Amino acid sequence: MQKSMPNLYDSELQLTEYCLKVNPKSYGSWHHRQWVLITRPDPDWKTELNLCNKYLKMDERNFHTWHYRSFVVSKCQPSLKDEFDFTTEKLLDNFSNYSAWHYRSKMLVELYPDVKGGRPIEDSHHKHELKMVQSAAFTDPDDTSAWFYQRWLLGAVKNNVDLAVISVTPSNTSLAFSQYVSKDFVNSKIEIIINDLPVSGEWLSCIGNQYDNLWIFKHNVLIEDGLDIKVQYEIENGQKQVLSCVPIKPFTYVGRNKVNFQKHYSVPVLNELKDQLESCRQLLAMEPDNKWTLLTTTVFLNCINAKLYHTEVIDNLKTLKSIDKLRAGYYEDLKTKWCIENQLYKDYENGELVFKVNFGEKISCLPHLQYYSHCEKVDLSNQNLTSKVLPSLIVLQNCKCLSLKNNKLTSLRGFPSLALEELDLQGNDLDINEVNRIREVFKGNIIF
Amino acid sequence: MPKGEIIEFITSCQDSESGGISASIGHDPHILYTLSAVQVLAMYDRLDAIDVDGVVRYIVSLQQEDGSFDGDKWGEVDTRFSFCAVMILSLLHRLDAININKTVDFVLSCMNFDCGFGSKPGSESHAGLIYCCVGTLSICKRMDALRADELAWWLCERQLPSGGLNGRPEKLPDLCYSWWVMSSLSMLNRIHWVDKKSLEQFILACQDSETGGFSDRPGDIPDPFHTVFGLAGLSLLGDTSIKLVNPTYCMPQETIDRLKLEPQVLHI
Ligand SMILES: [Zn+2]
Repeated sequence: MQKSMPNLYDSELQLTEYCLKVNPKSYGSWHHRQWVLITRPDPDWKTELNLCNKYLKMDERNFHTWHYRSFVVSKCQPSLKDEFDFTTEKLLDNFSNYSAWHYRSKMLVELYPDVKGGRPIEDSHHKHELKMVQSAAFTDPDDTSAWFYQRWLLGAVKNNVDLAVISVTPSNTSLAFSQYVSKDFVNSKIEIIINDLPVSGEWLSCIGNQYDNLWIFKHNVLIEDGLDIKVQYEIENGQKQVLSCVPIKPFTYVGRNKVNFQKHYSVPVLNELKDQLESCRQLLAMEPDNKWTLLTTTVFLNCINAKLYHTEVIDNLKTLKSIDKLRAGYYEDLKTKWCIENQLYKDYENGELVFKVNFGEKISCLPHLQYYSHCEKVDLSNQNLTSKVLPSLIVLQNCKCLSLKNNKLTSLRGFPSLALEELDLQGNDLDINEVNRIREVFKGNIIF
Repeated sequence: MPKGEIIEFITSCQDSESGGISASIGHDPHILYTLSAVQVLAMYDRLDAIDVDGVVRYIVSLQQEDGSFDGDKWGEVDTRFSFCAVMILSLLHRLDAININKTVDFVLSCMNFDCGFGSKPGSESHAGLIYCCVGTLSICKRMDALRADELAWWLCERQLPSGGLNGRPEKLPDLCYSWWVMSSLSMLNRIHWVDKKSLEQFILACQDSETGGFSDRPGDIPDPFHTVFGLAGLSLLGDTSIKLVNPTYCMPQETIDRLKLEPQVLHI
């Protein structure tokens, strides 16, 4: 006897349910079940949602079930609020449920975006979520799930692309940005103006890709003294801004923008962060060696006012390095990044034309290096730089004199082609043959 | 191993109609086995042993309107298949056959709050899928689109006191994550964010002294899957008794160099 189609579909559902009972992580079974339901004309989504609830009770972290749930939700469309509340329920059950935090993040930005302010999350909800993380953290500070959610909340601010610096010489016009921008972006939003005339030319990425944070502008204007050079660029909603260059020496012009690495929160959110910082400090007084409390305190300090709390932040990172040894490399690089940010404010205010590491800590990487792309002299001597940073030097497009003396270089693999006049490599554990090989292709003087 | 027989076997697994390659003779073709076939032939420098145009045709046929890829004609979408597609085509120097911008856009639509990636838009981050997505961006030279510091922090937090790595928060360590996590960190140029020494000890403890194979955790039964990721992981950690392995392709660096491929590694 031939079975009717609905019966056939039903028996397929029974079969997949049987298979899922045996192996709830089978890609094939979930996929087949999904196929049956979109193929049959009369799917029963309520039953499917209940099936998800059942499987999430058995294993709250099974990502197959979570994914199947969002598929079912996309079909039967319960209110987003119901789904959001479902994650609240799951989390109150167990704050350690990372899958629920993940699902919640998706619902949150859908339900409560900050339409007016352009931030990802509306103020009162942003604040509410921070509070929820705090209560999770107080329940069990060593459970990591909530901490990742908190980091996301702290980063959920408006993020604008900004111009960092432009430098113009007879051989090179380069523009550095705060982040990677596309060729389309520079083509459509940036205009170089010399003596009130827009200059036509071609944009080239300094690494040769479609996206870059340093762009070279090839044009035919002869760069001599007494020029008026400006960049006009479009920021949000079509507004135009102008950055003027000043001559810094014969035939050389530099235009610097304001530096800004501080995150901007709304007042209620900022106040919430300050409150939570206080609670963290109290906890820390009782348990000074708790990694998560110390890390959170440090991130709060940096988010609230990086300049003001700089010394404390750096001291904390050093402590973190010793209490969380597995991630010492992370804290070391973070320390470098925040120290460089702190120095950049001063260097840009003082119109510094030389980049020299100006703080007591040794740097281990080269973050924000494009901000120094206009410098002719870059002194990176006596640091902890390893060979993995070498390709990053490509942004030093105007550098003539580069010192990497007394670092931890072990190879020159990846050293970019730069028009250097002098390169100091002394005090590194390098193979002399390798140094000689780059001597052959290199026009400048190599000290080794 | 009998190179000739292996190549002959691969040739006979190609489906002349679709151009795809199957797990074994008479099976249905799938993008996973097509990738394995192309990788093996690339290592043997014998890509001429299959109908390359057929493979390209097969991959192109699997790309969907939104830039994603099906695994085979039955239509399961997963970021793993996006990675397989760009890996296959780049090994064949035919990346231009698909829509790269759409491929990248689909992968980026799978980015989550923690800056990691899952198997589909909305899916939770998982180290294995992060490897696939970061690898896709590395081949497509779009590593700029990642939030490198945030993602690498999440990845280095996978290291547990035993030295081993897990694939998601609050899960057990497993040797294969040494590869998924460490290869991703290598492409992000932040491999030094985990402690190499204790990870190396964990990997070596997973080797079975009798058979020489590696298992997921110390004391479990070894298998080929964990053996390859154990060895490749040791190579990333700087073990020079193993040939240098490329973090994007999980293949010998010498093969990648011979094919003149330059998968992107982020600056730091
Ligand atoms: Zn495993």
